[in-house]
Amino acid sequence: MPDRAGTGPSLLRQITRRLLVFTLIFALVDIVIVVVTYLHHPEALAQELLSLEADRAGGFADPAAARRPESRNWSARIIRPATPADAMLIDWTRRDRIDGGYRITGVRRLENSASPRWILIRFDAIGVKPFLPVMMNELADHVALPLVPLSLLLLLFNIISVRRTLAPLRRAEDEVDALDPDDMSLRLTVPGEPREADTLVRAVNRALTRLEKSVITLRDFTANAAHELRTPLAIMQLSLEKLPDGATKAELQSDTDQMTRLVGQMLDLAQADALVVDDLTLVDLAAVGRAVVGLLAPKSFAGGRELTFSDNGGASVNGHAEAIFRIYRNLIDNALAHAPGHTDIIVAAGPGPQISVRDFGPGIGAADQAHLFERFWRRDRSGGDGAGLGLGIVKQLVDAHGGSIVIESPGGGGTLFRVHFPAAPTANGTGPGAVARPPI
Amino acid sequence: MRLLLIEDNPRLAGLIRDGLHGQGFAVDWCHTIADAETALQVNTYDLLLLDLGLPDGDGLEMLRRIRRRKDTTPILVLTARSGLDDRVYGLDAGADDYLVKPFQLPELAARCRALMRRPGAALGTILTFGNVMLDTAQRSIAIGTHRVEAPPREVALLEQLLRRSGNVVAKAALENSLYAMDAEVTPNALEAVVSRLRRRLAAANADVTIRTVHGVGYCLLAPVAAAQVADA
Repeated sequence: MPDRAGTGPSLLRQITRRLLVFTLIFALVDIVIVVVTYLHHPEALAQELLSLEADRAGGFADPAAARRPESRNWSARIIRPATPADAMLIDWTRRDRIDGGYRITGVRRLENSASPRWILIRFDAIGVKPFLPVMMNELADHVALPLVPLSLLLLLFNIISVRRTLAPLRRAEDEVDALDPDDMSLRLTVPGEPREADTLVRAVNRALTRLEKSVITLRDFTANAAHELRTPLAIMQLSLEKLPDGATKAELQSDTDQMTRLVGQMLDLAQADALVVDDLTLVDLAAVGRAVVGLLAPKSFAGGRELTFSDNGGASVNGHAEAIFRIYRNLIDNALAHAPGHTDIIVAAGPGPQISVRDFGPGIGAADQAHLFERFWRRDRSGGDGAGLGLGIVKQLVDAHGGSIVIESPGGGGTLFRVHFPAAPTANGTGPGAVARPPI
Repeated sequence: MRLLLIEDNPRLAGLIRDGLHGQGFAVDWCHTIADAETALQVNTYDLLLLDLGLPDGDGLEMLRRIRRRKDTTPILVLTARSGLDDRVYGLDAGADDYLVKPFQLPELAARCRALMRRPGAALGTILTFGNVMLDTAQRSIAIGTHRVEAPPREVALLEQLLRRSGNVVAKAALENSLYAMDAEVTPNALEAVVSRLRRRLAAANADVTIRTVHGVGYCLLAPVAAAQVADA
């Protein structure tokens, strides 16, 4: 699994943080504007302060009880109009400069009673402190009230908007993770909008096209180079056959054989890399096994060893017959090369969708098993004529079939390679893929 | 036995021509498809050796053209192509055999001979392997200079093994050619015939052996290979 956690803050977090900072700056500017405005209009401040005090005092049964101990010359009195004409009383405020501050006097209509009442209130406001509650009120009304809901709404809008905007990037991320070097034709889905994501995805797709081109060039180069080597090799082979028999000829023949093998394997590997198995062709694992063993038996007999095939109920699988043929052949070649002379090799198909090749050689250590399918890996680089590609080809061909390969060390010694193929799906359940797998 | 070799590499063509000439074949050489078509109109050949990558086209196209005009001359494809599907394409296009470069001359000569003695190519043929000889027309076996009498079923078995000598012949293929379709074939019937033929060959000092390939079929092995097995 790729590491998808990523580092650094998410875009959402960045935007949220910046939005909060912006809101704070905005609030500060707002506060300054409010404060400066009121400092330039002290009469407005006095009006507000008086209204505040009147509201507070009106809440008491006896307004005089609302007196603040720290206020100087604080007095309040309810005025009840004697005649309807007195009800024409209006709100007014008066501000007189006194030593160190203002004396504020005024009348306010009390709104919280059934019959019209007015309150006459007077107090001295020295310094700034008495005006603070007014300021706070004003700030709450003009700064907090509009800013807080607006900020919250913006935040919510941002979360939704960012999620939606980034959705194409998330999909692109999933698609990039799904890219496979074995299938270079895959491309990301172009989102269309937003344009920034669209151009990024298009750029990635262009890069993928360039990569595909170079991978194909590389693959083709291996295949072409190996292919082109075959005619000179054929010339070499036929020329050396004209040499008189002797040690030099034998050595040359051995070198030519080795090179022929290597060229063949490089081509096989390039073809294995490009193999796409369609799921339409059914291949009988036992029939292919019989053909391979039949082909290799004379070579095996010439080396003085027994090569046998047993059909343990091998199923038919979706696959490429020639590729499965090469899986068998490379596994048997590997056994012929690595198990000592005169030991037997047992090839089997089944039970079910699997094949196996068993030798009675020295076995394979756990440390070597890890490298076995690496290309050009050999246990002993100085000996043997193999290039270390045979099992790499097997692995690639098995992978192309969606199968798996395991190395077992059976009782009695030796090594057993077992290749499992996916069971062929059958439409009616009675097809060759439905071969029951007996207990092993 | 006259062969037409269609190969564009002059050095390789020269080597093949000289080599096959030494094995008793007469070889004409063309290096383009156009030349080959002309040669085919003028002469009759027992076998065509066809390279696939030619300067004026793909050998497979020529192969299809030849087969379309009902020409059954055996064709052996010589090619550098060994792709997973190349052999199938080659045989589907009408090739009788397919040999991937590089190859050894004895292998090429053996394949040429095998194609020429195919049923249809010649009616009566003498098949030989080691010191064993079988006349397919007379149905007679000779080992060394001695004539050996054998029942028809054993002759038929030996013929099948000789036709693919050195290669494994599948049990099913042998059963098909030895027994009629409706005949009851017991699982051991073929084995019994094989062991009778084995004893007969050994008694007559034949230097070839019939090897059993378990689970697959039987194989007639050459004297050298048989000797190595005996050493083991």
